[in-house]
Amino acid sequence: MSQIIVRTKTSEPFVPLPDDDLIICRCEEITKGEIRKAIHEGMRTLNEVKRYLRAGMGLCQGQTCQRLVLNIISSELKIPGGELGRITGRMPVRPAVMEAVGKSTEHSEGVERYDR
Amino acid sequence: MKRYELIVIGAGPSGLSAAIEAAEAGMQVVVFDENGRPGGQLFKQIHKFFGSKEHQAKVRGVRIGENLLAKAKDLGIHVILDATVLGIYKNKEVSVLIEDEVQNYKADAVIIATGAAENMIPFKGWDLPGVMGAGAAQTMMNIQGIRPGGKILMVGSGNVGLVVSFQLLQAGCEVAAIIDAAPRVGGYGVHASKVTRTGIPLYTSYTVIEAKGVDSVESAVIARVDECFQPIPGTEIELGVDTICIAVGLSPMSQLADNAGCQMEFAPGKGGNVPVLSETGETSIANVYCAGDVAGIEEASSAMIQGKIAAAAIARDLGYIDDIEFAEKKTAYAESLSKIRAGMFAPGNKGKVFEKTDEGFTISDSLLTKGYLSESELSAFPALDASGGTHIVIECTQNIPCDPCQDVCPAGCIIVGNTITQIPKLDKDKKCSGCGLCVGVCSGQAIFLVNDQYEDGYGTVGLPYEFLPLPAKGDVGKALDRSGAPVCDATVVEVRTNKAMDKTAMLVMKVPVDQLSSARFFKAAEGGN
Ligand SMILES: Cc1cc2nc3c(=O)[nH]c(=O)nc-3n(C[C@H](O)[C@H](O)[C@H](O)COP(=O)(O)OP(=O)(O)OC[C@H]3O[C@@H](n4cnc5c(N)ncnc54)[C@H](O)[C@@H]3O)c2cc1C
Repeated sequence: MSQIIVRTKTSEPFVPLPDDDLIICRCEEITKGEIRKAIHEGMRTLNEVKRYLRAGMGLCQGQTCQRLVLNIISSELKIPGGELGRITGRMPVRPAVMEAVGKSTEHSEGVERYDR
Repeated sequence: MKRYELIVIGAGPSGLSAAIEAAEAGMQVVVFDENGRPGGQLFKQIHKFFGSKEHQAKVRGVRIGENLLAKAKDLGIHVILDATVLGIYKNKEVSVLIEDEVQNYKADAVIIATGAAENMIPFKGWDLPGVMGAGAAQTMMNIQGIRPGGKILMVGSGNVGLVVSFQLLQAGCEVAAIIDAAPRVGGYGVHASKVTRTGIPLYTSYTVIEAKGVDSVESAVIARVDECFQPIPGTEIELGVDTICIAVGLSPMSQLADNAGCQMEFAPGKGGNVPVLSETGETSIANVYCAGDVAGIEEASSAMIQGKIAAAAIARDLGYIDDIEFAEKKTAYAESLSKIRAGMFAPGNKGKVFEKTDEGFTISDSLLTKGYLSESELSAFPALDASGGTHIVIECTQNIPCDPCQDVCPAGCIIVGNTITQIPKLDKDKKCSGCGLCVGVCSGQAIFLVNDQYEDGYGTVGLPYEFLPLPAKGDVGKALDRSGAPVCDATVVEVRTNKAMDKTAMLVMKVPVDQLSSARFFKAAEGGN
């Protein structure tokens, strides 16, 4: 890692909301309250929330919840959505069984992954 | 490792058009699609498209798809189905999951044409079975032949919500309501009018707040929203529905472009995260292109042209066509694209509210808020002909890019002009022959054939009709007005079909002359049809 990112809790106290039990990431069953809490615990971007909670790491790979999580972070932190990054597109962009990847035919020499 | 000159990811309208353009230039092309059927969204679009002849206007989406496939087959393009692209590496290598194996392909150029995914809105109970995307409902009924539900609430009044609502009716479902949180209808007025005249209520400034049910949806609670889109307590209405369809926009499926390392941007006007593209659709990586909805949410008509431009640019770079030929193609495609991207609903006009048409007519407020024209507002438009006998009434009142009515009229009565977004006018010197072709081809189902001299005290209204079973001559029922309210008894006097109208029938019903300007739909009496 080229950069050390410091994450601290927000200064404002976490205030529960009546709709905190609303499921946002259906694949991993993560609620709005959990996401809001993660933000108050210092998560600032879509990727951070994903790694912290697994929101967007399930079957649909964030296809459905990415936008919803973005809206929650944006309204909690009052930051425009465009500044919150995106869930990095990675191989495999669709769920695949490991066995199939294991059977993968060869790459040409010197092939480099773009994965970051 | 298999090699091709061009790999196209996605066999939707843009991917197939790109593959065809490249193969015609002489390139070796492979197309991958994760679906078992090629055609992308086109195979669920059973409605007729807008545009001009060059954009295949008045042709149903599904037929456009069939034509593209036939052409791809003729050209020997390899279309590999059930093939999911999992990643793109440097050197334009692509990993594809085919059956139970990941295969790697390499090409000189790659076009990403993966389309878009549906947006969702969360509300209490939205994870109950019965809540689904409108596109998913469309796939169920139009591809798999399964009715998504019995009684449906449609959330979203954009073109997707309106078109899918109409198709749900065609499939035999009941649509309880179409709602939109915005104060105005999002889609084309003609699409809205097409559903409201059948009696579907359209509520603007309403949102869904809860799906109720134990194992699946049993009802939906909707509520009016204030200017900040917050539900107003006390305005809740509970609708007994078993299905809630969500049609609140699409997001580009641009993960592969991101994975390939293309420079990305967050562009709300394009629907979300999209790659930064050159004029020809090239990403920040040389010879990796994007075309269609993945580059920004638009339409199939523009997706096809974008695909062709990308393929032509690649053909030029790889030496299959020269600079002159490329320049000619590019100019022609750019012109075609600008025609289809024009009008009030053009991509650049998203969210804008128009009060007047280009011609200076006042846009109907009733159309924007309730989904249908009021008679008094309609009378200000130019396509009304008060002359006696058989004549047409065109209820097309917004600047949308479409002109098949002008082409199809054998008598030359209808004038749109060269700017295809103009509102159609009638040439008063020409005499309508009463053929009804315009009624059958209008993609917006906005043309009616009226005869005020049918018999003493009675006239007829010919209207576009796309429901099965088709009523027959002599059937009786009610004539409904533009809002879907019954206005009088009606008798079917003719049901006209022909090849040019491609399965849209013109149903002619007899109504009292004083209802000729209000009767716009026929509802068969219960029990008979
Ligand atoms: C209800 C509705 C009505 C519409 N009406 C009209 C209309 O009247 N006129 C009009 O012009 N447009 C209309 N559209 C819009 C039109 O359907 C889309 O704009 C168009 O289909 C976009 O084409 P595309 O080729 O970019 O994407 P798509 O048609 O979505 O095709 C993308 C293809 O890529 C495949 N794919 C995606 N990811 C992968 C992967 N990783 N590996 C392999 N394959 C992959 C998908 O399976 C799909 O087949 C309508 C859309 C809807 C939903």
